[in-house]
Amino acid sequence: MPPISFALWLLVLVFDTGGQLAFKAASGVPGEGLDHWRAMAVRPWLWLGIAAFACEFVTWLAFLSVVPLAEGVLLSCLNMAAVMLGGRWLFGERLTARRLLGVALITLGVVLVGVG
Amino acid sequence: MSTRWRFYLVGFLLLMAIDTAAQLCFKLAATHAAPFAVDPGWLLRVLREPWVYGAIAGYLGAFVTYMTLLKHAPVGPAFAASHLQVVSVMAASAWLFGERLAPLQLVGATLIVLGILVLARAEDEVAQTTAGHAR
Repeated sequence: MPPISFALWLLVLVFDTGGQLAFKAASGVPGEGLDHWRAMAVRPWLWLGIAAFACEFVTWLAFLSVVPLAEGVLLSCLNMAAVMLGGRWLFGERLTARRLLGVALITLGVVLVGVG
Repeated sequence: MSTRWRFYLVGFLLLMAIDTAAQLCFKLAATHAAPFAVDPGWLLRVLREPWVYGAIAGYLGAFVTYMTLLKHAPVGPAFAASHLQVVSVMAASAWLFGERLAPLQLVGATLIVLGILVLARAEDEVAQTTAGHAR
């Protein structure tokens, strides 16, 4: 992989994982509907997630300009393991056998779609 | 079908539909703005692409849907399940761009759907053992 593609891929991984974890932190505040959005808006997590998301938007677009869509999707499937581990570490989400099997099947499926 | 099940089913299918539309716009914008270069010219070419605004609109819709899902769903499985769009993007690419589907890709798509069904079963299991608290 050319250095520019590798650098863009690494940035996508960092922004994607960080953004997912920030969004989960944001969504945990109490409230329903508009009240929920108001509660999220006055805390930093939602904005941190949006910042990561905006950075990912640009890097993902740049990444897709240098690699085919299928290859781009293939390389981004490491993000799933990173988010799973982050969810356990930060939010105490359980890594049950069924969840691990489900995520493993999805990851393998994404890999096969990418190389197929 | 329980309320939680209906919430997940409708939520993730809606997310898949919006995400697919956004990714197709992304691909069209990237193709039209090529070649990629780290310069303002490339960024300007991207911003002049109408498709990029379709992608932004899709991202906003997906954002609201996903935040609503995340309020109740654990982020690890939810993020994995959001990869259902790989299957729909592949189907749409074959249909709209005439991209050829290899047998391995069809196997991969089947595994993704299977994995999501396993995750759905996993949520039932976790809900039973933790009295409804999704963790």
